[in-house]
Amino acid sequence: MSEHDSILGRRFTRRTMLQGTALAGVGAFLAACGTTGQSIAPTVGPSAEPTSAPSDAATPAPSDKPTPSAVLNFANWPLYIDQDESNPPKSPTLDQFTAKYGTKVNYVEAINDNDSFFGTIQPPLQAGQDTGWDLVVLTDWMASRLIRLRWVDTIDTANTPNFVANLRDVYKGVEWDPDTNLRAPWQSGMTGLGFDEATTGALTSLNALWTDDARWKGRVWFLSEMRDTVGLTLLKLGFSSEDFTREQADAAFAEIQKAVDAGIVRSFLGNDFKEGLVKGDLVLGTAWSGDIIQAALEKDTLRFVIPDEGGQLWTDNMQIPKGAQSKYTAELMIDWVYDPAIAAQMAAWIQYVSPVQGAKEALAANADPEVAALAQNPLMFPDDATLAKVHIFKGLDEAEEAYMNDEFSKVTGN
Amino acid sequence: MGPLLRRYRFLVPYLLLAPGLVWLTIYYVYPAFQMFIASFWSGTLSQGFTFSFANWTNYTKALDNYSEQFFRSIVYAGLATVLTFAISFPLAYTIAFRGGRFKNLLLFLVIAPFFTSFLLRVISWRTILGDDGLLLGPLKDLGAVPEDFRVLATPVAVVTGIAYNFLPFMTLPIYVSLEKIDRRLLEAGQDLYATPLMTFRKVTFPLALPGIFAGTLLTFIPAMGDYVNAELLGQTPSTRMIGNVIQSRFLTNNDYPTAAALSFILMAGILVAVAVYARLLGTEELTSGAV
Repeated sequence: MSEHDSILGRRFTRRTMLQGTALAGVGAFLAACGTTGQSIAPTVGPSAEPTSAPSDAATPAPSDKPTPSAVLNFANWPLYIDQDESNPPKSPTLDQFTAKYGTKVNYVEAINDNDSFFGTIQPPLQAGQDTGWDLVVLTDWMASRLIRLRWVDTIDTANTPNFVANLRDVYKGVEWDPDTNLRAPWQSGMTGLGFDEATTGALTSLNALWTDDARWKGRVWFLSEMRDTVGLTLLKLGFSSEDFTREQADAAFAEIQKAVDAGIVRSFLGNDFKEGLVKGDLVLGTAWSGDIIQAALEKDTLRFVIPDEGGQLWTDNMQIPKGAQSKYTAELMIDWVYDPAIAAQMAAWIQYVSPVQGAKEALAANADPEVAALAQNPLMFPDDATLAKVHIFKGLDEAEEAYMNDEFSKVTGN
Repeated sequence: MGPLLRRYRFLVPYLLLAPGLVWLTIYYVYPAFQMFIASFWSGTLSQGFTFSFANWTNYTKALDNYSEQFFRSIVYAGLATVLTFAISFPLAYTIAFRGGRFKNLLLFLVIAPFFTSFLLRVISWRTILGDDGLLLGPLKDLGAVPEDFRVLATPVAVVTGIAYNFLPFMTLPIYVSLEKIDRRLLEAGQDLYATPLMTFRKVTFPLALPGIFAGTLLTFIPAMGDYVNAELLGQTPSTRMIGNVIQSRFLTNNDYPTAAALSFILMAGILVAVAVYARLLGTEELTSGAV
């Protein structure tokens, strides 16, 4: 399997981290909950409101602009937005949006994995009909597929000054969205090397994944997400994962096969690697930053590093599906979450990489030291040196994607 | 009401069949037809698929590319069925003949684990079979097995996982057929100087065959298409079953034609296997015996 993990979909458990943790230990789950809850409370009220006020003034809607719609239909992944811990499903970010624009946000955690969600919006899009969603959140490769199929509306950047001003540079001008107006990053994560330092010792190079070492042989996993594993393998071989040839891709598949044949690699996994890592069945592999942050709550010897050879940066993106009823309001929402104060409020809860410039500073200024400390977390706010080492996977056309998926399937046994 | 009912009496069987027929038509016949069409498609998701019988090569290609996983599925499902039978028969026998007043309790215990979600049970197996888990941890501490020994991510894990998950489907039908056996037949066997073993061979086992037939089918057929155990307990390229391939063809690779063709090959394969099996055991007798 690849890119999609049928039962424990990568997304599902990754984001439902609390549930994942609950499986491994209810204690840790409660602890994690408690900490987050307490630390969030102060963030929401005092710091967010005032900071967002100036940006209200900065973006007055001219009179010829359309008015916000009554409802905004927003599809996102589970546990991917800040929640009011005293009233859980409610989200301060969304409530404040409603207070400002009068739009009721119909926010639905409708996306458990890219492929199956795509399956639900594909028929109406193909038929040129409205999908029912004004805003959806999809991972880079799926977002680029929608762009390729011309199934997204262009974001009118005149309506999104915060987005224009605050999107971090690393996200701009990717090959599949050259003008940065076909998608707006929601959150990112990094793919690098994850390991249990107590067993493997400190590691910095991807070569470890191809090293027949008794400490980790047969306890190594590779991510089942094709782009993550192939991307890192390309980097290991000294190629670029942002742009590569068919021959280089073939070399990468052969390289992955080598590690499998040598018995070093045990499994291709989605986010279940976290469980194996905590239990000790797995000690080394290609990992997502956010999962290691979460798993480290249970096992403090777990480490995540961006390898010397480089790592991958993946992003989930907001997109406006073609034919959306409330395109203008969707743009207002995009702009809203690019307000640094709002972005900080979200980041404190989500704990992934925020694409918003200024979110770190807004978080650091929080009155609660525990929340402010999050601004120093290198996995949430990677510094420039780290960002220079991570790459966004090449946007594939349909034929390339089919080829890569097929070859990857062969390696993973599908 | 009376005359009306009498007048349309001939309709009653159809009315009784209707819910089942409608259900099967909507949720089985129609999708199966759709899938049949899809298996003759060519093309891609974004350019659209086109139907042509010339695309029968989808079937040969699918067989070519995935014969390994097909073969593995047959072997795993077969082994799991044999294992399930080996566990179920003595179990059912004991409950039926020696259960006494605990019969219902024992039957309940057979089913009890299945009140828990299927997924959770498989995941808990993962915990139990873990490299340093409940089972292997102590064995490794004792030095009974080498440090790098593992059960997870091996065929053993997949086959035992399947066997565990289908245990009641084997146990219950066998129990029912054993339970029905007229004890006087066994006594008659003894009266005719048959040894207990002989009685078992000539009387008990043949009378239990309908249950064994039903149990093996209920185990083997779903086991062939199972992908959860291979997915969660196997988790390694060399234990992938055909169900995993179909799943990934459909959902990851958007390769609907191949996935559909694989599904039909699987269905056809199972039909043939069951037909041969039924032939060997003599179904006529079995189904009449089971009624």
